Amino acid sequence: MSELLVATTIGLPVLAGALAWFAPERRAAQLAMIAFALAALAGLALAVGAVVSGGSGAFGGTMRIDPLGAYVVLLVLVVSAIALAGSPAHIAHERHSGSLHERDAGRYYALLLWFIAGLTAVPMLDNLGLVWVAIEAATIVSALLVGFARTPAAIEAAWKYLILGSVGIGFALLGTLLLYASSVGALGETSDALNWTRLAAAAGQLDPALVRLAFIFALVGYGTKAGLAPFHTWLPDAHSQAPSPVSALLSGASLAVALYALARFHLVAVGAVGTTFSATLLVAFGLLSLAVALPFIVAQGDLKRLLAYSSIEHIGLATLALGFGGQLALVGRGLHLLTHGLTKATLFLAAGQLVAARRSRRIGRLGGSLAAMPADGRALLVGSLILGGLPPSGLFVAEIAILFGGVQQGWGWAAALAAVLLALTMAGFLFHVARVSFGPSTLRQPEPPARLRWALLLGLPLIAVIAAGLWTPEPLSVLFEQVARILGGGHG
Amino acid sequence: MLDASAATVIIDAAAGAIIVLGVVLAGTRSIGRAIWIVALQSALGGVAAIAVGLAADAGHLVFGGVLAASIKGIVVPLFLGAMLRRSTVRRERHLLLDRRLLLVAAVAIVFVAHAVADGNAATAGLGATRALPAAIAAVLTGLLVIMTRRKALSLIVGLLAFENGIALAAFALTYGMPLVVELGVIFDLLIAVVVAWVYAGRMLETMGGTSTDQLRGLRG
Repeated sequence: MSELLVATTIGLPVLAGALAWFAPERRAAQLAMIAFALAALAGLALAVGAVVSGGSGAFGGTMRIDPLGAYVVLLVLVVSAIALAGSPAHIAHERHSGSLHERDAGRYYALLLWFIAGLTAVPMLDNLGLVWVAIEAATIVSALLVGFARTPAAIEAAWKYLILGSVGIGFALLGTLLLYASSVGALGETSDALNWTRLAAAAGQLDPALVRLAFIFALVGYGTKAGLAPFHTWLPDAHSQAPSPVSALLSGASLAVALYALARFHLVAVGAVGTTFSATLLVAFGLLSLAVALPFIVAQGDLKRLLAYSSIEHIGLATLALGFGGQLALVGRGLHLLTHGLTKATLFLAAGQLVAARRSRRIGRLGGSLAAMPADGRALLVGSLILGGLPPSGLFVAEIAILFGGVQQGWGWAAALAAVLLALTMAGFLFHVARVSFGPSTLRQPEPPARLRWALLLGLPLIAVIAAGLWTPEPLSVLFEQVARILGGGHG
Repeated sequence: MLDASAATVIIDAAAGAIIVLGVVLAGTRSIGRAIWIVALQSALGGVAAIAVGLAADAGHLVFGGVLAASIKGIVVPLFLGAMLRRSTVRRERHLLLDRRLLLVAAVAIVFVAHAVADGNAATAGLGATRALPAAIAAVLTGLLVIMTRRKALSLIVGLLAFENGIALAAFALTYGMPLVVELGVIFDLLIAVVVAWVYAGRMLETMGGTSTDQLRGLRG
């Protein structure tokens, strides 16, 4: 793990953000794109290195990247690329409608870069205390993005996100603390006693009572950040009020990053007190999230909230898969989070354009999108069919793998219940999307046709997700298998 | 250096005072008073950490304690005080629970915290574990404040009390987290308060008040 590459992946966006803050709109956008492209290349190199070597450390053991971390880095980078590429259109529209000052554009790109840097740092840190610090820092930065529109609703959403997020994640700090306390007997009071590598290696010697307590607090804390029911109440507000590219990043990447932190706790707990304890809790909260999302999706009247509740559903499914364990479900989970991230990010961008043109998020007022705005309307329809779990797509394969994997692992009833909930949710979700898609256009003035660049931005990720259902490239399937082996309790 | 018995006395006194301040905080209506109560609580937490650090010869605890006491005890309260002067609201008019009920609840929390912590055989030594009931009590009274208040400033005060409890638990359980983690946590807390300050300002601009009662637009 080259220290130069780590510094480029995390440090460069932070520095470029500081410059972008003061830059005019165009310059800030260019700066952000270039800095991100370089950081993404470095991050990609790190990820490939980790998959080839099985994992290595840097900066005196503070940082470490293994295939699981590499997978999360990859997910964050891919979703960030979509969010960043979709930002100029959003900013231009906001400036055009007068709701954004000239100087705010630079600040937007600065905050976005810092948010991305925080999310990328999490899966590269070895110390669970620093993982917490990075997640909290990313939360605070993104709170500023959630309220960026400065409307009363956006301020309310940001406020809830900040306060509920901070209280929730405070519990995760308590969990981290308890894990540290459980290790002091075995590892002593050294600063690397919070490193997940050391904790996982010494799991058998940790104090089991404290590990159980630590996992419960981590579940509440990182569960809040990941949007698991019943700690999800901030999520629909924040994800629907944020600027659409930020919603894409929140739903597609930031939830998965919080779930990654919880997975590290799960692995330590499995080593210390056996599989049953944490796996049962994960399955229970996964199912609860699926069940809670269902009525809110069926009765939803707001397009962006619909997408936000769908994120609660999918993060519930990923949590369920983690609880199931077993190679099949865990490989499915790898494919699922990645395809969900791509699809959801694209959907938020398309929905953002539809909502901006109509100046309304109400599903009832958005009818006829296919006729009015073909590029965005088609992306919304196709993306929603994928998200609902219809074949052929990578998401469909992933869901099937997770459910069958669950049956294989002896969670037959949970998999059956999940299948019923997923089917009902799909019906509700697609009903609303059909209302938005079909019918005569409700636009007063026709929108100019979308540019080719925009159509490609929406089309390529969806084509990739569909293709992933038919064929997975060799490097990706190797990555998924390695990630599944780590999450299954083996090391590498 | 401090000898162990003196450190124990200091920790006991600080822990007791932190518990009492938590109860008083839960029952106070004046936002200005709440800010200074939580500032004092933070400072006492820092003092307890310094005492343990000196007695156990743990430099990182002393440093962390000084930093916590100065940032959470002085810098953050000054910020909140500035926010309060800009605001027109000085008191919590409508507590979600009756004030007497709140005091009863806070005292009940203290007893529960002692009962819970007594059954816990975590690491010992220097009597730092004696601070564990105070830590749990501070966490829970912080939550009580957050749940029963409506004004933006009161919520931040509750969050600080909650965080004081976590910081106290950190050194009661483990003699503090590794220094780099502790620094990160304090840094995060500082920027969280700054961001909250920014948003309280925006609420004032767009809604003419800092009562989160007006924040009722988002449902379902």
